[in-house]
Amino acid sequence: MTRITLKGQGPRDNDSRFLLDVHRRDLPGEATMRRYEDNDEVDLVVVGAGAGGSVLAQRLARQGWRVVILEAGPFWHPDEDWVSDEAGAHELYWTENRIIAGDDPIELGKNNSGRGVGGSMVHYAGYTPRFHPSDFRTQSEDGVGADWPLSYFDLKSHYEQVERELPVAGQNWPWGDPHTYPYSPHPITESASLLWRGAMARGITMKVGPVGIVNGVFGNRPHCIYRGWCLQGCKVNAKASPYVTHLPDALAHNVEVRARSMAAEIVIDQDSGRATGVRYFDQDKREHLQRAAVVAIAGYSIETPRLLLNSVSARFPHGVGNNDDQVGRYVMVQGASQSAGRFPHEVRMYKGPPPEVSSEQFYETDESRGFARGFSIQTISPQPIGWAEHVAAEGHWGGALRSYMRDYNHWATIGTLNELLPNAENRVTVADERDHWGLPVAKYTHSLGENDKANIEFSKKVLCDILEAAGAEEVLTIARYAHLIGGARMGISPGNSVVDLHQRVWAVENLYVADGSVAPTQGSANPALTIMALSSRLAEHLAKKAA
Amino acid sequence: MKGGRHSTRDARPDSDAGEVPQARRGTTPQMKGRYPDFDVFDTEDTWDEATTKVVRARINVSHALSFFDEREALAARVLCDLVTDQDAEPRIPVLELIDEKFHKGKLDGFHFEDLPEDRETWRRVLRGLDETAEQRHAMSFSALSREEAQRIVEDFAEGSLSGGAWSSLNVARAWSVCTRAILAAFYSHPWAWNEIGFGGPAYPRGYMRMGGLSTRDPFETTEDSSPDPVREVGS
Repeated sequence: MTRITLKGQGPRDNDSRFLLDVHRRDLPGEATMRRYEDNDEVDLVVVGAGAGGSVLAQRLARQGWRVVILEAGPFWHPDEDWVSDEAGAHELYWTENRIIAGDDPIELGKNNSGRGVGGSMVHYAGYTPRFHPSDFRTQSEDGVGADWPLSYFDLKSHYEQVERELPVAGQNWPWGDPHTYPYSPHPITESASLLWRGAMARGITMKVGPVGIVNGVFGNRPHCIYRGWCLQGCKVNAKASPYVTHLPDALAHNVEVRARSMAAEIVIDQDSGRATGVRYFDQDKREHLQRAAVVAIAGYSIETPRLLLNSVSARFPHGVGNNDDQVGRYVMVQGASQSAGRFPHEVRMYKGPPPEVSSEQFYETDESRGFARGFSIQTISPQPIGWAEHVAAEGHWGGALRSYMRDYNHWATIGTLNELLPNAENRVTVADERDHWGLPVAKYTHSLGENDKANIEFSKKVLCDILEAAGAEEVLTIARYAHLIGGARMGISPGNSVVDLHQRVWAVENLYVADGSVAPTQGSANPALTIMALSSRLAEHLAKKAA
Repeated sequence: MKGGRHSTRDARPDSDAGEVPQARRGTTPQMKGRYPDFDVFDTEDTWDEATTKVVRARINVSHALSFFDEREALAARVLCDLVTDQDAEPRIPVLELIDEKFHKGKLDGFHFEDLPEDRETWRRVLRGLDETAEQRHAMSFSALSREEAQRIVEDFAEGSLSGGAWSSLNVARAWSVCTRAILAAFYSHPWAWNEIGFGGPAYPRGYMRMGGLSTRDPFETTEDSSPDPVREVGS
């Protein structure tokens, strides 16, 4: 294992950290950004400026590719646009209309969906764990889920590179493929300390991190100031998102990020079957076509399938790449049960980044538990509106709710990420309702399976155990879900997947999917790092192919 | 509740509302609060401008409603008051904040398949509350006594209202749509932060005192003994 110390090297081939301004948060280079003409054919057009799209664009721009990113949301100016305020963060979420259905419908919006340059990593908590090697072989090892057409070791060097770019801070990691992190673990708060002690008393190991939050000197990125507002957009530039980790370097290498541009259709040449570009609407609802030699979709698990399904032509009457009815299937979330414990003294859990300490001790299958696969445990620290949702989910309102809320400073919160298994019927389809561009909106249907329910129930007991061992006087546990993944999964044949092992849509030779929707399973790890690592690998492949 | 795994609906950390202290320094809803000498605005000079602007806007929200019509507003105000237990001034202007959000078309990014989008769900709920009040022989929901209105809201929370406007809704889910908007408005307001002792916005200033495990890092070890040198060395 290569050991990277604090004194060691920063990331190769990415100058983002030096391009940022120490005192201003705007993405440097916006004013002087390369702007392509409407009728230019570029080398690559990417739909979506989030974790997947930004890394792909940055990597290939470094290889000299001419790249345009179409982003539906705004080009942020964080000093003015982002606030230390829960309700004020509303603009960061994908708040266009979507329909949720099934036995266990998944709330979207602020829970898991981003919009704007930088994508949902702008408002993710900051946890950046790797997937475990077993996540890539759950069918072979555990008889559930699906095997990926690639292994953990195909991604490993990209994990390491992205960890240096974010940079990730955390303790030496004992789970999965044991590894170290480039930055030391952050100090932790009273809330995390309580939970740590409770876990330790129950024989559960917790480690600090891993988080994509600067702890020390990293170019012009400031050290974290422990203000706790990670989910509202980091006004400090300490927390990693593509906005600070990849887009500055991308702009410096002539990438154009065209914000407020809503992709409507992947245009397919009906003779050759190749993608010729992307039809999109600008903010004045004017229609444009961006032509490109290669097209990559990075809209994430709802918008990527929606765009493919909405791209209907004679060759693809059910949507691009959907002749085998695979697009939009196997969309997954993670169970994210949340348990709060009441302590006699003030805890004030809102201080410090919500992601502090975590455990992957329950990640792998343990047959004695009676279900396949597992879960991870992570601290989370809801702010007042989030805490009100927690209390209300227990059935409280009126005077009881006000009373619980007044007690806010006495509670500490811990959560799970349960691996929920892929299911073909958990899927994104397009509905009859249309958005204000006239495009059919996405409908996401989701129901839990028996293995999922058993996993969630078991993990809730572990959370309660930890809180009780920590000395909690009372425990409130609620069910929720987090993190989307899947919907255009990779596989070894078009009959059961949408893209091949290089994330190319089976039926179109120059169309790629560069986001979390390609993942056939999701483990119990937060997806951001893996999405970036996949795009890093895809970029390497495309660069080699072009050479 | 000591050792209890789950709370019941009646369990409340400070169950006798009469014992909640009166606020002295900052404004809180109904001047109740655990932190009588706290005012989040005392540190306003350490907030960034953009944050100050959105927080201040809630104090100065317009009282003229644009989204709800007059009759809807009467019912909605009673519903908001009951869900947030506001029975006296100063009140957090929950209805005004929701009205502004809906008027500007700010939605949450999804709606359940068995409900219309949130704005239409609200309109149907308010119509349903009036219809249920009429069945219970009142002119409207807002004409009921607080106790009678409370009973209808209890039925709403249980998902047990039916007929009329309710028949076009999944009532239990409609309750979650309404409470989501009401609670987001209430706890976005700085007076609520004063009530619960929330430190509030933190940028550019962060936090200094976060607590923590101990003075020992994981790689440091415990000492074997700890004799007091003053005694050991002697005088």
